[in-house]
Amino acid sequence: MARLNSIPELKHLREIIQEDMADSRPRIVVCAGTACQASASSDIIRVAKRYLLEKQLLDKIKLRITGCHGFCEAGPFILTEPMKAFYHRVGLADVPRIIETTLEGKLVEELLYADAVTGERYRCQDDIPFFKFQQRTIFGRNQKVDPMRIYDYLATGGYKALEKTLLAMTPREVIEEVKASGLRGRGGAGFPTGRKWELLAGQPGDRGKYLVCNADEGDPGAYMDRSLLEGSPHSIIEGMLIGAYATGATHGVVYVRNEYPLAIKHLIIALRQARDLGLLGESILGSKFSFDIEIVKGAGAFVCGEETALMRSVEGKIGEPRQRPPFPVEKGINGRPTAINNVETWANVPIIIERGAAEYAKIGTRGNSGTKVFSLVGKIRNTGLVEVPMGMPIRDIVHKIGGGPSGKAAIKAVQTGGPSGGCVPYWKFDLPIDYDSLSEAGTMMGSGGMIVMDENTCMVDVAKYFMNFLKDESCGKCFTCRKGTQRMHEILDDISKGKALMEQLDLLGELAYVVKDTTMCGLGQTASNPALSTIRYFRREYQRHIFDKRCDAFVCKELVGAPCQSACPIGTEAWRYTAHLAKGEYQLAYNVIREQNPFPSVCARVCDHKCESRCKLGTTGSRPLAIRALKRFITERIDPMSYKPQRQRHEGPPERVAVVGSGPGGLTAAHYLSLMGYHVTVYEADAEPGGMLVAGVPKYRLPRDVVRKEIEALIDDNITVKCNSALGRDITIDGLFAEGNKAVFLALGAHRSRRLGIEQEDAKGCYPAMPFLRAFNLKGEKLAKGRVGVIGGGNSAIDAARVALRQEGVESVTILYRRSRQEMPAFPAEIEAALQEGVKLEELVTPTKVQVKDGQVCGVTFIRNRLGEVDQSGRRSFVPIPDSERGVTLDTLIVAIGEQILEFNPAGSEGLEYSKQGTLIADPDTLATARPGVFAGGDVITGPNTVVDAIAAGKKAAVMIHRFLRGEELRQPAERNVPRVYVEPRMLSPDEQEEARRAEPPLLSLRDRRSGFDEVEKALTQEAAAREAQRCLRCDLEFTQPKAAARPAAPGGDPSTRSQVPASA
Amino acid sequence: MTNLTINGLRVSVETGSTVLEAARFLGFPIPTLCHLEGLSPYGACRLCVVEIGEGPRAKLVTSCTYRVEEGLKVRTASTRVVRARRMILELLLGTCPQAKKIQDLASAHGVRQQRFRQEHDDCILCGLCVRMCEEQMMARAIGFRGRGESRSIGTPFDMKSEVCRTCGGCQLVCPACQLRCTFVEKDAAVCGGCVNLQPPCLDRPKFDNMMCYMKPCVACEIEQDGR
Repeated sequence: MARLNSIPELKHLREIIQEDMADSRPRIVVCAGTACQASASSDIIRVAKRYLLEKQLLDKIKLRITGCHGFCEAGPFILTEPMKAFYHRVGLADVPRIIETTLEGKLVEELLYADAVTGERYRCQDDIPFFKFQQRTIFGRNQKVDPMRIYDYLATGGYKALEKTLLAMTPREVIEEVKASGLRGRGGAGFPTGRKWELLAGQPGDRGKYLVCNADEGDPGAYMDRSLLEGSPHSIIEGMLIGAYATGATHGVVYVRNEYPLAIKHLIIALRQARDLGLLGESILGSKFSFDIEIVKGAGAFVCGEETALMRSVEGKIGEPRQRPPFPVEKGINGRPTAINNVETWANVPIIIERGAAEYAKIGTRGNSGTKVFSLVGKIRNTGLVEVPMGMPIRDIVHKIGGGPSGKAAIKAVQTGGPSGGCVPYWKFDLPIDYDSLSEAGTMMGSGGMIVMDENTCMVDVAKYFMNFLKDESCGKCFTCRKGTQRMHEILDDISKGKALMEQLDLLGELAYVVKDTTMCGLGQTASNPALSTIRYFRREYQRHIFDKRCDAFVCKELVGAPCQSACPIGTEAWRYTAHLAKGEYQLAYNVIREQNPFPSVCARVCDHKCESRCKLGTTGSRPLAIRALKRFITERIDPMSYKPQRQRHEGPPERVAVVGSGPGGLTAAHYLSLMGYHVTVYEADAEPGGMLVAGVPKYRLPRDVVRKEIEALIDDNITVKCNSALGRDITIDGLFAEGNKAVFLALGAHRSRRLGIEQEDAKGCYPAMPFLRAFNLKGEKLAKGRVGVIGGGNSAIDAARVALRQEGVESVTILYRRSRQEMPAFPAEIEAALQEGVKLEELVTPTKVQVKDGQVCGVTFIRNRLGEVDQSGRRSFVPIPDSERGVTLDTLIVAIGEQILEFNPAGSEGLEYSKQGTLIADPDTLATARPGVFAGGDVITGPNTVVDAIAAGKKAAVMIHRFLRGEELRQPAERNVPRVYVEPRMLSPDEQEEARRAEPPLLSLRDRRSGFDEVEKALTQEAAAREAQRCLRCDLEFTQPKAAARPAAPGGDPSTRSQVPASA
Repeated sequence: MTNLTINGLRVSVETGSTVLEAARFLGFPIPTLCHLEGLSPYGACRLCVVEIGEGPRAKLVTSCTYRVEEGLKVRTASTRVVRARRMILELLLGTCPQAKKIQDLASAHGVRQQRFRQEHDDCILCGLCVRMCEEQMMARAIGFRGRGESRSIGTPFDMKSEVCRTCGGCQLVCPACQLRCTFVEKDAAVCGGCVNLQPPCLDRPKFDNMMCYMKPCVACEIEQDGR
């Protein structure tokens, strides 16, 4: 490379290179950024190179190896030019095919990037949503240049900005231009860059001045500076040259972490090439301007990203911040004036000069111009680096570019600004992302880390994770920062282990405030942010940890214990009965279930098994243990009467309590109150106790004799059941108190269906789902005939559809749902079973009118919908398509769009409050209603809900009524619900575990299912049950294993929870 | 001379002096632990924080390192300052409860409780010894090592130092390890209160502000451990 001695020489060289490169040969671009190398892109490059050599294609197609493109989730990928086809997750075997088809000018359709949800394939990189919604002004260059070739950079217009400054601008003009562009420091604090340069330019330069590029990027989860340095080092060099020209700086320093070897390598090469070409060093391009850059490698202390600490580190001293003033521009490295800017800031400078300040200022918003690169990581589908104009709402970044949550759980918050930043909760996602809005929201831009968190992320754990990082990374000079972060971590740790009191939360807040106030540098002043912002937005989660001893995200191990147990609303020790089952101890297993659950046989059939969704087997790659099927197996073998519950001694004459409603909630409350010695009267509106279990749940899911047997076993001498007594009709709350009851528990079910609110809804042949189900379940009336339509997507819709299908005279059953199957609230297994049985599903339709002929339903008109944006509930909304109305012929229409409680005559039952949805208002923690002595739980306060939640409400009501009658405080801190009993394990060997599959209970034949009401699901065989039980990972052993005994190797990996905070991608 | 306002009082002090020097010269008390005349200011203990500026731009700075500026407005005992100081003292008590100097300061500032888990360290890393060794004894035998939780003071690689003359300067200036309440040795105890295993707080006037008033009381703690 010959040294260039003037600007015309540079221009000439660029022209030659551009001519040379402007050929029509196709090109294959492979990313060799750090993230892609981790997903084996170096192998792709090797294979591609070899193929090109072997087939002698070098003169027909070109290969370019570049730095990071940003779409790290899709790596390793191949991009072809000029078609811009984007092949993601390329395998080694695909490389030759891609090369050959690119040569032919065609595409390999099946390897093109496809949307993970819709499956749509994109033929051009620019159409992919991840790229489409970005504005890649500084990052876009990465895919166009090989970072190790300065010619590539020159060919894409590199060093043109330098040319322009040297040729036509005075230093003053450069500063004015940068000031006019509104560029603010991208390192996080957002100090105007032009202003900083102006200050530096104003300093006496007789002893030299320093310009520093701060590449000490230490935030967990952030890697945009690294990718910029790796992918386009010349942009930074050019930026610094322009800065030096403007400020009169003589020395340049790039302070880069030693953990970034590739960045250092590329930078060393780039500096050497620039020096060889005469773009760096003495008299640059033959002018009087001289500037050189050296690399200083940092040893990896986070605090060295702080400017005063960085300067000390450059000087070779311990990286410790010092008091400002004097500011670095007055007294910096070696006492010389110094200006420090972030990598991304420097990369912006050439663009400002090249495009002009006015043009640049058009990007972004006022006062926050330009783009910002974020590293989007965490629980998001499209992980990677994204560059967006400032002011874009967080929602767009997360959903449009990021593609929404990576798993099923809804997104809860994003954490921005690294460890010293804070959280933005989901409901604030319309926040435009810029310096000022973020700091108003209690977080900060930082260098641009953006960690997405979903419902499976515990905010206490997040705060603890970052605090742990900060307590290790605090330099330790300021006592408040060093000790303060340690103490904050200690308190957060206590909270996450359930050892803290509410006072400690206040102490944490107090301490956080003082640490923020009294420390010297940026690290300490922001060190409280993780705690302060999570407390601000997620105080409820802290309270749940401290008061209820619950971690709802199932992260804090000490509180979760065995996930199956804590997932169960009634705390069933699933691990324990599974362990007994594995050893063949069926009666013991039954007792374990029955201790917590008065309805084992019912739950074994209709429970929505929250335990299984949290099972460690399921979350670590395999399929969850079939816990409900195991419970079913046990309950098949043991008679409910065999269990003799423990009774508490009751002192004094027994007090009377009334329970209204004999569903699972009411009977559970009655049962536990009876065990505590109360005399309970249960009032039932229908002719038979059981509530929804007999009136709503179809027989093929829950045979009636099972329910009757279970209820029979519960009713003892202390319990009286009075049927045909409806609240408001036969009894009143005043009356119940007048009869001597000391407390009343309202456990009414949701037996009234919501109405559609469209024309002719009351025509003959049109039934709300609950009356339809009740008519059949209680009286045996078969109302459905001919072609049946069911409107709705919940469980009652599925129940109604499956019941209708089994009735004689029914030709077909179609479910009409307004969104798509994915959004249906019904249990997926139920939907699947219904479809198997022949129920048809019509998605994305909203009924607008019921068609009636002679007073009889003859069809329904509906309008088609399409899926729209993600709404507040985290589901895709539906948007009606205009003029898409269509009719369908029906003989029966069942409306199942939700249930409400039956209204009762309020006379004599005053003093209660109702919500807008028609539910009763009661404190969810204590179940107390507005009227003293009246408690309510289950469907009546939550709306339609599951059986197990009703049982949980019944159990809680019993405790609360007991406390109320004893005059105790209702709200009391909970105990940790972790395994306490040791059951000797009998587990599969690791090899067997590897092969074992989840046991699925046998089902009734499809023919029998369609024609009758026999139970669909059967019990597991003894062999299958025993094997399935041994598949359990026994998460409890960590808590119950006797200390002396050696712990057996847990098969299938360590079941212990690891920190859920996503670390650096 | 530089003109500034301290606690509403317009004063004029020598240019280049620190806020701490100015305030002390004028008789405004500011507590310090890591400051010693003759040693360069360091700003480690943060006890000497004062509030400067006004309105939303008001902030706390350490007076020992902050130089006076023309027109500066300083408040040495605002609510914000006092609140911060008390929390710092509480943190210090949680770390180093036996140091007489810390106990006295806490007592003087009305800190009556310590809500953190009790630790018994013997160093608060104020760095006085390091500066003493370097600046007055010209030895540079000891220095800071590590960062964050693992920061400590000592000789390089913990080896016996060849430049140390065992002058004892480091011990002399230490606010934590000198004059420690060594509560178990009756004669060495500062107040003696705890050795008698009586809650010394009952005997307050006798010991003035030299006592061990801790909550939980160190004395009580020892008594419990002994059982």
